[in-house]
Amino acid sequence: MEQQDHSAMEHQQVFKKLSVNGEPHSVGFSVHHSLLEVLREQMQLTGTKHGCELGECGTCTVLIDGQPVLSCLELAVECEGREITTVEGMMIGNDLHPLQEAFADLGAAQCGYCTPGILMTAKALLEENPAPTRDEVVSALAGNLCRCTGYHKILEGIDWAAAKMRGDEDFRPPREAIYGDPLPGEEPSDA
Amino acid sequence: MRPFKVIRPTNEKEAMEQVSKGNASYLAAGTDLLNRIKEHVASPDSVVDLKSLPGMNTIEVTDQGIWIGALVRLSAVSSHTDVLSRFPAVCETIIHAATPQIRNMATVGGNLCQKPRCWYLRHEGYSCVKNGGTGCWARDGENEFHGIFDNQICSATQPSNLAPVLVAHEAVIEIASKDGVRELTADQFFIGPSSDPLREVSLEEGEFVRRVMLPESTRAGSWAYEEAREKQSFDWAQASVTLLLDRGGRKGDHRVVLGAVSPAPLRRSDIEKKIDGSDDEIAEASGIAGAGATPLSENGYKIPMLKGLIGKAIRSARSRKEG
Repeated sequence: MEQQDHSAMEHQQVFKKLSVNGEPHSVGFSVHHSLLEVLREQMQLTGTKHGCELGECGTCTVLIDGQPVLSCLELAVECEGREITTVEGMMIGNDLHPLQEAFADLGAAQCGYCTPGILMTAKALLEENPAPTRDEVVSALAGNLCRCTGYHKILEGIDWAAAKMRGDEDFRPPREAIYGDPLPGEEPSDA
Repeated sequence: MRPFKVIRPTNEKEAMEQVSKGNASYLAAGTDLLNRIKEHVASPDSVVDLKSLPGMNTIEVTDQGIWIGALVRLSAVSSHTDVLSRFPAVCETIIHAATPQIRNMATVGGNLCQKPRCWYLRHEGYSCVKNGGTGCWARDGENEFHGIFDNQICSATQPSNLAPVLVAHEAVIEIASKDGVRELTADQFFIGPSSDPLREVSLEEGEFVRRVMLPESTRAGSWAYEEAREKQSFDWAQASVTLLLDRGGRKGDHRVVLGAVSPAPLRRSDIEKKIDGSDDEIAEASGIAGAGATPLSENGYKIPMLKGLIGKAIRSARSRKEG
């Protein structure tokens, strides 16, 4: 195959206003850079992860105008005028988002690399559907791979966060799902 | 990723002029093109962004049918009320495509024009008949996911999930060309390697898809879409069957189109004729699934797979009708 000298090619630079997590940012970048590259390298928002870079793993998922998309396959130059939400924008004031809280309480992350993408996908799901069935959660997460957890705690975390967001105070995740200390008001398990 | 320039034309004429200058490619969502650039199998110096053109991102509902702009996202099609109620098989094939994130990004036009998923074609180290070289590595190599019909020249399969259902509905593909707008039916649009091994669709230099029309006259009395794949969460189909029964209220006007087994969607009128409402229609129709197949060393399983999918599709379409 013919080898191309990439360094010799002039990079077309642009300067764009991107709206990320509700704040406008003026950012300069090469026009062929993905949103993922610009978020991480120009804006230092490193919560969004580089995974396969080919649209197969979902770990780079961010929300654009509320919908989950893959930042590795979206050119940043196409994002002007659209609202971008990353995992850094999930907290509500100084409080964790209920999904973040539930994931932490249930240990729904092991290595944690897929977690930002899964949180974003789940956030979009719960905003559209506050009481999803297990099948609906599984379908929504079809594009987010996790190689550690086996998904059970992730699914239970989303169920619990959904209940919290609906104000369903009676909902309790399965006892065996709870990691470490018991939940407030619960007895420690024998294990 | 290899650097490229982004050109944003303001009208169709400008888009066609820009793409014919040097080494340029059209860009829709980019879910396939950027992927191929990253894998070093596409290396455009510039991309011409069709999203800057007006009017290609709308769904227009008329008495004659539904026009879907080439830049409408797949998820916008599958959730559109009129497409769902009038062409439900189209929505069903879309929700089997890729992942939710990709469906939020990918466009209808891009889906139809994506390059095949053959792992030799998508590897920079291999030259074959499909990228300007000779021969087909898969024929004597790893061919588990390759085609079992019309696979002599190239054994890659048409990767678009939408392609078979568009053939089944005799969709009209409206193409912007240098001489104005031209139209092809879906079965004319998708081509096999004997027509031209370098292309999977009949777009000439500079042309692009403007919109796709689903004709009202082909609305199905009942329908089914059945697909088999290795991984349930998301995967490419190993084989699929699109079945439309009694189109346009015409009894016996059925369509059976097979996907992921040939270079272009494969209409099977021989199978359609066996679907006659008789007690043994499933055995008769699925029994001839492999007629004309030339399986390779690792993909013979696709014949029994198709038999199962055809049976499942007929049962599903019949029960949907009665239900």
